[in-house]
Amino acid sequence: MTRQPNAVDFWRGFALITIFIDHIPGLFYARYTLVNVSIADAADLFVFLAGWSIRLMAEGRAMSTRDLMLRLLARALELYAAQVLITMLAIAMLAGTAIKLSNPLLLEWHNAASVFNDPVPTHIGLAALTHQLGYFDILPLYVVLMLMAPLFALIDRVAANWLLPLSLGFYVIVLVFRLQLPTWPVEGTWFFNPLAWQVLLVLGFVMAKDNAGPGLWVRRHIVAIRTAAIPIVILGAFVVLLDWWPDPTDVPNPKLFFIVDKTFVTPIRLIQFLAVVAVFSLAFRYIRRAAEWPYLGAVVGSLIGMFAMLGRNSLYVFCVGSLLSLSAQIVRFDLRGTVGIDTAVVVLGIVIMALTAWIAESRQRSRPAASPQRS
Amino acid sequence: MDSRIATTLTARCIAAALVSLGLMAGAARAQSPSPPADSAPASSVSKACQPGSVALAEESALPNVAVALATRKKLRILAFGAAPGRVTARGGGYTALIEQMLERALKGTDVTMVNRGVSGELAASAAVRMKTQVALEEPDLVLWQVGTNDALASVPSDEFALTIKDQIDWLKRHKVDVVLVGLQFANQMLRDAHYIEVRETLRRVAAQENVIVIRFFEAMQIINRVEARGGPAIEPDEVEQSDAGYNCLAQYVARAITLGVFAKNMPKRPAVQ
Repeated sequence: MTRQPNAVDFWRGFALITIFIDHIPGLFYARYTLVNVSIADAADLFVFLAGWSIRLMAEGRAMSTRDLMLRLLARALELYAAQVLITMLAIAMLAGTAIKLSNPLLLEWHNAASVFNDPVPTHIGLAALTHQLGYFDILPLYVVLMLMAPLFALIDRVAANWLLPLSLGFYVIVLVFRLQLPTWPVEGTWFFNPLAWQVLLVLGFVMAKDNAGPGLWVRRHIVAIRTAAIPIVILGAFVVLLDWWPDPTDVPNPKLFFIVDKTFVTPIRLIQFLAVVAVFSLAFRYIRRAAEWPYLGAVVGSLIGMFAMLGRNSLYVFCVGSLLSLSAQIVRFDLRGTVGIDTAVVVLGIVIMALTAWIAESRQRSRPAASPQRS
Repeated sequence: MDSRIATTLTARCIAAALVSLGLMAGAARAQSPSPPADSAPASSVSKACQPGSVALAEESALPNVAVALATRKKLRILAFGAAPGRVTARGGGYTALIEQMLERALKGTDVTMVNRGVSGELAASAAVRMKTQVALEEPDLVLWQVGTNDALASVPSDEFALTIKDQIDWLKRHKVDVVLVGLQFANQMLRDAHYIEVRETLRRVAAQENVIVIRFFEAMQIINRVEARGGPAIEPDEVEQSDAGYNCLAQYVARAITLGVFAKNMPKRPAVQ
């Protein structure tokens, strides 16, 4: 039996659909996603909820520190396997389409050029996660975060109050010294810098704890925090909608503290994201109430159920969603992106993602008890 | 023509030719461990790449690069787009190849290429990210391969033009030169109306803004045509051909930058149609 829809699964499902749409550049519907009204986007939400889920997993049932650490390492391995699998499938899709359409341009798409052009070092890079295809760069971040997670879990068990200060301290060092992970064999840096993004995972992890620490403090002061967050969310929306980005060359050093950057999930982005979370933390409650309305309620209820189902099976859905995004790009390239094609692509994509989650849950549905929350 | 300007121009042309000769030798050395047998003295690029060089746009001045060379003997280049993400068949990156060629051509100059290309990125997203990277990396020049992803993703050409124009204006205001690299080549895209439109849009905006655009598509098209007529072959199959195409691209980029340094008072030449 699967667990009932909850806020974490619902929002994770929302993030998965949003990522699927955002990863189809030029898509008509991509102009209506979160990133068009917010500095932070679905990737921030996804990582924050991953941290939140680790807390639920750690406290959902009595688990020793050792077991928890091993479980997190096993999860990292599972994510790594998923990344290797979807990368190989993506390469095969690009190669197959290039052959089918007799168009070698596709072999150069999304950082795939060196896979075909210089396969010897690039395959080492693919296995080592130092070579990432375009739009296939979130899971490598997630793998590294899961490799860090046992350390976070250990610190949380032995000195819980130190976890967030240590994470924030490391984040500050990363911003000051611009520490990054290099890519290889193509010279560059990771698009998602795990050394900086760890702070979002830890924030999710500590905020999920409702009986002590920062999580308890936030819950006690949530009204004041939410009141302060509303203008930040509104300002963030105006910045994005009206292109009010501050000129990054005008800010003082260290610049990363004052500019908006996704790679380093810089403080402005982080604060705006936390403000969005604070403001919308009540939203799920109201959405669920809307499911009780006559007529419209049935639709809302179905949507809640579907989003939560996607969220419960996030890894499978994410993997299929990534491949669907690439498929959609290929379809749009071949047939040209019109609103009609875009509508078909989005509808079909979401249906396949839902079908993936449904199939993934088929075994669990026959079990007597709900499975524990996964990261 | 004023004799002083004529003298200056002659001096600059001689200097450019000398630098080009140095670049030619550098290109040949960087390309192959063997002696530069396929290079011609009249060109700054190797023989196999020479036919394509006629499709390159006119030289435009790179004043900020010139200042950097004169005052610091250092050149910092920020690379954006798909081309910087290429690796040669011998394992070196194209950015490293351009770096080597420029260091040989601009003797005594320390050239640093910073690659911040994100594959698959549309021009609009790259433009936002580029501003941040300019603030962080403080380059003298941005090398931006742009247009292919926008064309493939069906981005309207007027929207694309506005993005490029705004970005060039922003870079100019911040005293950063730019060299654009046009769309990638594939025979199949010769008949693609939107691809052609985006290519022409890029050429038009670059001409209006008086910035260098390396018309990679046209260059490769000409090279392929010459090759089909029995001219100097690049490589046998399409993947290797593409690799060699990027080798030519590295040479074109190095040539454009080198000439751009000396192009301050050069009369503007009409763009190749």
